[in-house]
Parts: sequence; structure tokens; C-alpha cells
Amino acid sequence: MRRILAIAWLHLKELFKSPGTLVMMFILPGLFGWIFGGISIESGQTKPVIDVVMNEEEHSTEIFNLLKQNEHYQWNKATLKEAKEHVEEQDTVAAVVIPTDIQQKVVENQPLLDVILRSKTEDYLALEPHLQGTANLIIRIHHTVEESNSTTLPDMLEAAATSKGVAIEKQTIQKDGNNPVEMNLMFVGFAIMFMMFGLSGAASTILDERIGGTWGRLMVTPASKLQISLGYLIAYFLMGWIQFSVLMIAMNLLFETTWGNLTYMIPFASLVILCVVGFGLMIAGMVKTKQQAGAIGAVLIVSTCMLGGVYWSIDLVPEFMQKISLAVPQSWAMSGFKEIISGSLHPATLIKDTLALLGFTAGFFLIAIRGITFK
Amino acid sequence: MNILNVQELGKSFGKFEAVKGVSFSVEKGESFSLLGPNGAGKSTTINMITGLYPPTSGSIQITGVDVIKNPKQAQKSIGVVPQEIALYETLSARENLKFWGRMYDLSGNALEKVVDEVLEIIGLTDRAKDKVSTFSGGMKRRVNIGAAILHKPEVLIMDEPTVGIDPQSRNHILETVKRLNNEGMTIIYTSHYMEEVEYLCERIGIIDHGELIACGTLRELRESIGDRSRIIISLDNEGSHHLEISSLLEGLAVEKDILIKDKLLTVFHKEPQAILSELIQLVTKDGTKITSVEIVEPNLESVFLHLTGRSLRN
Repeated sequence: MRRILAIAWLHLKELFKSPGTLVMMFILPGLFGWIFGGISIESGQTKPVIDVVMNEEEHSTEIFNLLKQNEHYQWNKATLKEAKEHVEEQDTVAAVVIPTDIQQKVVENQPLLDVILRSKTEDYLALEPHLQGTANLIIRIHHTVEESNSTTLPDMLEAAATSKGVAIEKQTIQKDGNNPVEMNLMFVGFAIMFMMFGLSGAASTILDERIGGTWGRLMVTPASKLQISLGYLIAYFLMGWIQFSVLMIAMNLLFETTWGNLTYMIPFASLVILCVVGFGLMIAGMVKTKQQAGAIGAVLIVSTCMLGGVYWSIDLVPEFMQKISLAVPQSWAMSGFKEIISGSLHPATLIKDTLALLGFTAGFFLIAIRGITFK
Repeated sequence: MNILNVQELGKSFGKFEAVKGVSFSVEKGESFSLLGPNGAGKSTTINMITGLYPPTSGSIQITGVDVIKNPKQAQKSIGVVPQEIALYETLSARENLKFWGRMYDLSGNALEKVVDEVLEIIGLTDRAKDKVSTFSGGMKRRVNIGAAILHKPEVLIMDEPTVGIDPQSRNHILETVKRLNNEGMTIIYTSHYMEEVEYLCERIGIIDHGELIACGTLRELRESIGDRSRIIISLDNEGSHHLEISSLLEGLAVEKDILIKDKLLTVFHKEPQAILSELIQLVTKDGTKITSVEIVEPNLESVFLHLTGRSLRN
């Protein structure tokens, strides 16, 4: 055990004495997280603008108030001409026209709100359900007014606009841009990618050790192959955990991100880190020099991270790409992290993700053991 | 009592036979050297003795332990100084020594004490906290040796430990090895520097093309070539004096007694002064010019040259 710990401790010490490794493991991911996290938050602060074309009638004002319930957009009143110009020049996402004959449109079962837009942008797609929901609400209120005959439509609209229950579209809007779960996953994604770079770089030092002679020297000490292997494994595993924890804590302090239930997070992250260590050792076992390891590692890491939904949500890519992504461990890791961070903790999904990662880890280690010669 | 027994040791890499049936033994407390040019098979032999390479054939026993069957047991009693500077450059000399000490089950105060002792032996106490990367080649070589003697091994195996270092560091290393040997440590030393081998070792095995071509004390090896000196004459061309010189050296007209290679004429003779003037006349009679003449007392280089027809440094 003493020999195992000595080997592990030696490599951890080497890590903290190597500026290059520190940059790759902490500075770069921190910088990426800070820049992209900052961009996400910044973009959240600039609300997309929607023009509303309306007259001064009471019901128009109340519908305007209903629309304003969605605080993710900035709602501006404008004339039809101004609204068209703004849309044309892409100063606004869209313009919503509240017709003067809205009651008649309800009766005739025609679309209530006219929308002027240049193209269906992401912002518009996020807005659409809110417009639809508002229109449905107006229709329901109209029918209620008709049945009760006791209040006027503007009164009911006012009541609806002041009611907290109107803000039903918030969830839909969040999905598209600044969902905290998506943002936290982005940080986890960066952590995974840089962990892969950092640990595959660290694991490829075995190649340097082979050339430098320390590997051979270790082999002629009384330390067994198992002790040597475990020493390296523990060192890389701890490196992975240190990197992951530092990044997660930094992102938490900078952007108040949360990481879900730690009872699930810690074992799952451990499995992901073990898988990444296996990946790094596999590359070290496949190549002859550290330069080859760097080149092959970079290609494999970047491509599999793209496929695995590390840079963007896997839901955004076509279905066939989603199927291909199942062949890379990152997609299973991201899926599991999503379950944990979002708090949904769906057991079947978590078990599936865990088993898949275990499979990948075992595969990587088998290839690594075959590749890394002890001679 | 033999501390190392090597019998019919062979090693092949694919079709290439690196070591061919090498046999020798080393007594406890002895200093033994494997001498040979680069690529002769010295390191491969050493790597098999240390348990790093499994041999293709033959057997090795160290302190009575079969290295092939129980390599980890055998490795407890040996210290290995590899040809490479096998150290962690980002760590200090002390940190390196402590790490290698731990690999031999040393720990705590005992480890600290032995590290201090070894730093003293290798003369680096005042640089103990400095990173190895800041050391000169000679200092690194000294730490390289230090890492192998922490556990006070019975046998110290050194594979060309002085390659590429300055004369001062070389002297320090040789003195250290001599001292360790005088204190009772068995030394197995490979080198292609005959001066080192002559200074350090009681017995010498000469290895070439994977074969042990001679083995014995320095005196025995000298005697094997008749204790003859070498007359080395540098020529401006290789000429065609071979037969005439052979007839001059009556009774010694053996092919290996006269070598002409790279404009160097080498003649082996017991009394070089007696034939020198006649030899020079013979060589220059067809107009060949002599650029230098040197008489070398019998040494390991002479033995190697006589046995193989090649210089050790070729």
C-alpha cells in the first residue's frame, strides 16, 4: 500500500509543479467557463424587443398588460408603420397587432393576434407559445363573460392580467436560452472536456517515463505491476477529482450554479472521472510518443465531445446524430449529469447512463492494459 | 561464493539475436565488468539480470534466487543504475531519493536518515532541495546512482553510469563505486570505457555481437594476447605492406597481429622498440608517408582489438 501511495503522491506532486498541466487543467477551463458563463448571463440581461400595435381601447390595454406578463421580452407600443420598419430592420423580434374587432374575431373563431415578423428566430419560437396561450386565455375569458353576463370583457382581462396564474409561459421561454440546468450542464461539459485533455496529457507522461527510464527503473524495483498500476490510477483519479471540484466550486462562486443532489453527484462524477482516466490511459497505450498522444487525443476528444453534447444540447442535433452520440461516453455522462443537476433523478435513465459508462470504462481499461507494456 | 550465476543466457528480438548463450558468474564482494562497444549486448544482458527483460533462453540466479521465476524477490537484493538518467526532473534530489527509497519499503526516520547518508556519499547535500532539472549532467548521474544504493543492496548493477559527463564528475562516480565495493558491495559494471573498467574491476567479461568472447582478470586478458604492446602508425594511405610486415614479424605472422584500417597500421609485438626502425623503413620504402607513430602498452583496448579486429569505440 505504501508503494501505491508513494507513486500516486509523486504524480500528484509532479502535476502541481508543471505549469503546462496546471494551465490545461485549471486556467483554460476556468477561462472558458468564465467567458461562456458571462456571455450566457449577459445575454439574459438584454431582453429581446417585441412591438405591440394597438389602439387606445380599454380591452387593447388589458391585452397589452397580459402580454407584458412575460418578462423575458421587452414590450414596446408602436404604430403599424413603425412596427413594420423595426421588424424589417431586425430591431425587434416581431410585432404583435391587437385588432380593434377582437370580440368579433372570437365569435368568428378567427386568429386573434396578427404577428408581423421577418423570420422565425429562436426568440420568436420561444415567444410563440406565450402568444398562443394569451390568445387562448382571451377566448376563454370571452366565453366566461358571455355565460356570466355580469362583467365586461375588459374587466375580466384586467383581472386575468393581475392574476399570478397568467405567467404560465415562463417555462417555455426558459427552455430556449437561459435555463439554469442547461447553463450548469455547459460548465460540466467544459469540465469533462478539459478533464479529458488534462488527464490524457497526464496519462501520456507514461510514454515520457518509458523513454526517460523511470518506467523501466520502477519495473526493476520490488514494486509489483499491480502496485504500480494502482499508483498511477489513483494519481490520475485524484487529479480528475481535484480538477472537477475546483471547476465546480469556481463556477458556483462566479455564477451561483448548483450541482443537484451530492449523494448522486459524487458517485456519478467519480464514474465519469474513472472513465476519463481509462480514456487517457487507452490513448497512452495506443501510441508511441507523447506528441502522437497529444495529436490523437485532441482529435478524439474534440470530435467525441461534439458528438456527445458537451458543447451544445444533444436535443438540438438531428435524430440520426443523437443515435450516433450513443457511441461516445460523453453523451451518457451529460445525460446522467442532466438528471442529477435538474433534480429529476429518473432512476431508469440514471441506471442506463451508469451502466453505459461502466461499459466504456471497462473497455478503455482493457485496451489500455493491452497497450501499456510493462517491459 | 557466487552471488550471481548466469548460464547460457540468450535473448532474441524477433529474428535478431541480441544475446547468444552468455555464461559467467560473479563472487560476493567482487567487482565485475561487462566491456564491449555500443550495441554489443551489454544492456540487454543487464536488463535480463535485473528482471526487466525475460530471457529467451538460459538461467539467472542472484543471491540464490531465480530471477526468471521470482523477479520481485531477486530485485530486493539488487540496486540498478540504468543507462538513462531515470529521475523525476521536476522534483528535488531529496524528493527523488525519498521516492525511490519508498519503492524499497523504506519509510519514516529510517528513510530520512538513509537519504541524508546517500546525499553525503554522492556529494550533493548542499543541493538536496534543488530540482534535478537544474543539475548538470554529472550531478544527475550522481543522484541516479544514489537512488540505487538507498536500500544498501548486495549487488549494485550499473549500466554505463558515466555516459556523457565531465571528467570531474566521472572521477567522483568512480571513487564512489570503488568505495562501495571496498565496503563489500558486489559491483556489476558495464561500460565501453576501458580506463574505467581497468580502474574499477577485478574481473572483466568482453562482449561483442551478443557473445562473451573473453572473461578473466585484467592480467589474464593481457596474457591472452601474449602481453604484447601495440605499435600504431598513422599513414597517408593504406598501402600494400601487409605481407612484407608479416614476414618481418617472424614467428608472429598471424593475420590478427597486423591490422590496417582507416590509414592506421597496428602491429602487436612484445618488444616494439626492437622492430620499430625496421618497420618504419618497410612502410616508407614505396613512398608512403608516416604522420605519427605511437607505442601503446598492453591494455583492454589491445585485447578487444586483437579479439575482434575492431576498436572498442567503433
